[in-house]
Amino acid sequence: MVVPIGSAPVGAEDAVPRPAPPGPAGRTRRDVARGLRAGALAGVLAPVLAAFRSPRPGPAETDPSGDTASAFERTYRGRRIRGVWVPGRTTAEDGRWHVTVDGRPLHLMRRADGGWLSTVDHYFSHPTPLEAVYAAVDTLGPGERLSDAASEPGGAGHAHGEGRHGVRA
Amino acid sequence: MAYVRKDAGTLTAVERLRFVKALLEVKRRGEYDEFVRMHLAYYSSDGERGLRTAHMAPSFLPWHRRFLLDLEDALRRVDSAVTIPYWDWTRDRTTTSALWTADFLGGDGRRSDQQVMTGPFAYGQGNWTIEVGMTDGGFLTRDLGRRRDPIELPTTSDLEQALEDPVYDAGPWDSTVTRGFRNKLEGWSTGWGSPSWRNHNRVHRWVGGAMLGAASVNDPVFWLHHAFVDLQWYRWQRRHGGGARYLPAEPPGRGDEQYRRIVARHEKLPPWDVTPDELEDIGRIYRYA
Repeated sequence: MVVPIGSAPVGAEDAVPRPAPPGPAGRTRRDVARGLRAGALAGVLAPVLAAFRSPRPGPAETDPSGDTASAFERTYRGRRIRGVWVPGRTTAEDGRWHVTVDGRPLHLMRRADGGWLSTVDHYFSHPTPLEAVYAAVDTLGPGERLSDAASEPGGAGHAHGEGRHGVRA
Repeated sequence: MAYVRKDAGTLTAVERLRFVKALLEVKRRGEYDEFVRMHLAYYSSDGERGLRTAHMAPSFLPWHRRFLLDLEDALRRVDSAVTIPYWDWTRDRTTTSALWTADFLGGDGRRSDQQVMTGPFAYGQGNWTIEVGMTDGGFLTRDLGRRRDPIELPTTSDLEQALEDPVYDAGPWDSTVTRGFRNKLEGWSTGWGSPSWRNHNRVHRWVGGAMLGAASVNDPVFWLHHAFVDLQWYRWQRRHGGGARYLPAEPPGRGDEQYRRIVARHEKLPPWDVTPDELEDIGRIYRYA
């Protein structure tokens, strides 16, 4: 689903994954301008809401209000972090966060309690996607870069693309 | 006849050497990296759709039991005397314990980049290049105890909290369930941060580096950790008697949130042609010393 720039986010609620991303009380809808400001992947932006609780302070934040967003862009510990929410294209497909660290993709997963975890920090979940990305960056040594494998969702029983639903022996 | 899995802290120098040599040979043959890929492929989280087998699901224990058996088969094809030792992290709790020596698993990662510099799995030895990792460094990483913000390994009493639960698992059969032996041992709980990291999960955090990620299998300590987790399943069965069985016995129904997302006792456990029921009793294959 691609929502035209400037339109109301009609249908966005349908694309909110179950369970809905956690958020602070009183989260508000924002228009896609925020996402556009993030720059990356503007073509697939849509104003699905995902909330961020009290992001950690970091240098050179480009999104200072940062409490509710469908995209983020930060520099954290010298790493360039970008994230954008990509809604599912059909009701049978969940949306997902497309995240990069220094341009390399990092796969995020949802936990049933609404938390988030990444392939790099896989046994622990975090309240928001952004905090999951921070935790992943925390594990990286100086100069260490994400590999291609860090962008891969689990292939078995996992359902990001078509034809992966209900994989079962 | 059943073979014996031993406490890693009690291995002789020869047993250590043979275990290490078998691992290096399985790696050299290219088989080891298939284990890494498989673990990576089977990590699906419970906030996503689809079947979960290896984590955040009742089959966490049988999945890893079978996974260890497959690695053990590969090791024993190299050296039939080798079995997977277990790491009793309630007892071997420090960075200087018997595991982290140059003739066994090697030591902690160095401060600058967490690279393991000692032992047979150090990159510089040339026998343990990470082919399928979360980063492109190619070297094994560890951060034992997490220097920047130290944490402790789980204690006997942490483990006891899991073992004392007489129920194997309970609805909703995922990482949010607060009842049941399985999730208490796997270690998902409510809340965030250090206190919420329990038992199995917490050990992954304590070792750090490669063990934090989906490719945790790259650190050989993965197998020793999971052998000890597997031992807890055996202990739990012994403690609670014949009624202590894998749950759910039947698959969740069509209206259930977990319909087709978990493996019931008599269903096949992908990727194998085996059921949790068939993996509950391992007495004829191996035993723990």
